[in-house]
Amino acid sequence: MISVAGVTKAYRDGAVRRQVLRGVDLELGPGGTVAIVGPSGSGKSTLLNILGALDTADAGTVRIDGVDVSASRPVALAGFRNRSLGFVFQFHQLLPDFTAIENVIMPGRIAGRSANSLRGEGMDLLAQVGLADRAADFPQQLSGGERQRVAICRALVLEPPVLLADEPTGNLDAASGEQVLELLDGLRRRRGTTMVLVTHNPEVARRCGSVLRLDGGRLTPA
Amino acid sequence: MGFVWHVALRYFRSTRADAHIRVLSSLTAGGLAVGAAALVLALAALSGFQNHLLADLSRHTPALQLELAGSGAGAAGDADAEEESAALAAWAGATNGVSAVQELLYARGWLAVGASVEQVEVLGFEKAPPVWIPVGDRTARGLIVPMAVAQKLGLAVGETVRVFSPRPGLTPLGPRPRTRTLPVAGIYRSDRADYEELPVLLPLEEAAALFAGGDRRLDLALEPDAEPEQVAGFLRETVDPADATVIGWREANRALLFVLRLEKSLVFSAVVLIVAVAAFALLASLSLVLSSKRSEVGALAAMGAPPARLHRIFLALGALLSVGGAGLGGALGAGVAAFLDRFRVISLPPDVYIVEYVPFLVRGSDVLIVVASTVVFTGAASLLSARKASRLDPVEAMRSART
Repeated sequence: MISVAGVTKAYRDGAVRRQVLRGVDLELGPGGTVAIVGPSGSGKSTLLNILGALDTADAGTVRIDGVDVSASRPVALAGFRNRSLGFVFQFHQLLPDFTAIENVIMPGRIAGRSANSLRGEGMDLLAQVGLADRAADFPQQLSGGERQRVAICRALVLEPPVLLADEPTGNLDAASGEQVLELLDGLRRRRGTTMVLVTHNPEVARRCGSVLRLDGGRLTPA
Repeated sequence: MGFVWHVALRYFRSTRADAHIRVLSSLTAGGLAVGAAALVLALAALSGFQNHLLADLSRHTPALQLELAGSGAGAAGDADAEEESAALAAWAGATNGVSAVQELLYARGWLAVGASVEQVEVLGFEKAPPVWIPVGDRTARGLIVPMAVAQKLGLAVGETVRVFSPRPGLTPLGPRPRTRTLPVAGIYRSDRADYEELPVLLPLEEAAALFAGGDRRLDLALEPDAEPEQVAGFLRETVDPADATVIGWREANRALLFVLRLEKSLVFSAVVLIVAVAAFALLASLSLVLSSKRSEVGALAAMGAPPARLHRIFLALGALLSVGGAGLGGALGAGVAAFLDRFRVISLPPDVYIVEYVPFLVRGSDVLIVVASTVVFTGAASLLSARKASRLDPVEAMRSART
């Protein structure tokens, strides 16, 4: 499902070249879950962006759900992201001009589906994270934890085969975090969703099939 | 509602919430409204004036003219010219759509009363004075003099005046100027501007006798349902160019019509600058919206919104910001123009202008041009922001929300 081979990535910071990834390899089958841990600034988000076709690797190949992400054109990648990937960003990235339910169904709207046809699925997801009664609220009316739960619902609404999550429970209290993890577990069991989670939370890492550590630009078993 | 318009409408609504963007977008809409209203008013005023002018012109110009070639050749050919013009007049009169034909002769000569001499243009007319010359008594037969000439020579109806032709007549004593003493049968005053030289009118036979070889012309009146261009086309195809040249109403006034079109184009070009300036304000508004929505646009791209749809969102937002202003301005301009015309609010000195008030005429085509030009300017302004939105790097854009 996810096949990463020899991925390197460097950033230029003024006159300094910073090598973030130094030949990263990763193999993950359908329904597999992996937690990526590591110190801040080690390149976890960069790797997630490359896996999510939001950024390009300097070298190496990335194949996800049969698609060679590293060789695809930007327009094709947009469709691929919409169809095949669900994102949970470190900072929820909700759209402040849209209500919670509108944010949740936004990937479906981008896919060309009507709001009415998506509403039921969106409301189900909000109910699963205890936010059914906040569906009509705007993000600025929600707490940080509530926003993150809405962002998770948005990532799951089209039931993508691959979910990429950057600190999915980072802003949540223990109960809310547990709800989110239950939701992710249920999705993996029911749909066989492949998940890559970047986390600092040992509980999240413990629930994943494998835990890898990104340090010094390389992925190693934790 | 589709995704693009859904997002664009929300972004449009959000421009109301942010004070800076609200002020700027209100200025944009206001500028577009003022620009569109000014354009509609300016074009309506020009159309109103031109409408009156063209109506006046059409009253004073025959629908079609046949300028006879070879006229002005001299006395020797005058009998031939008369025969040719009579034959052409008969032929033209029988043409479909032509209701009447009048033969005219143009020449220059002098009027003399005592020691006072005035150079004049002479127009010889057949039957009655041409309808486009405002002679009071159209049955008067004899010399009919424009008021300006009559005043210069101190003439009154019934008095006599000597008419001189520049073409000499041959007598046993040698060439002598052709002259005739004629009574003044009428004096006319034109409502047209003073700068135009008005002709002295003479019955055709008198004019032909005095001004042998003058320029001959046939004026054609058309049936009410006849199409001037169609009749002109038929005449052009049929008549030998060596005999006569067919001149339509518009062709006869080509220079004036060109000036009117040019005037309208220049005024439009000047006033459309207001819309252009408003379009710059739109560009600023959209840039500000894009700047404030940068991370959200990045999130939309990350969720799979293709660049083309992000592009369309900002085009739609530009349309939302501009259409209201342009529509309001267009409606305001048309309404004010209709009011000013209906109640003749702006008056003019009647001895200077052909109308006593500033007329306004709102034409659908003018409004369409205003709308089209507004769309072009605002579209161009929106395109820049739309292109920028579609080229955002999602990761960089989302990162901007955190910095």
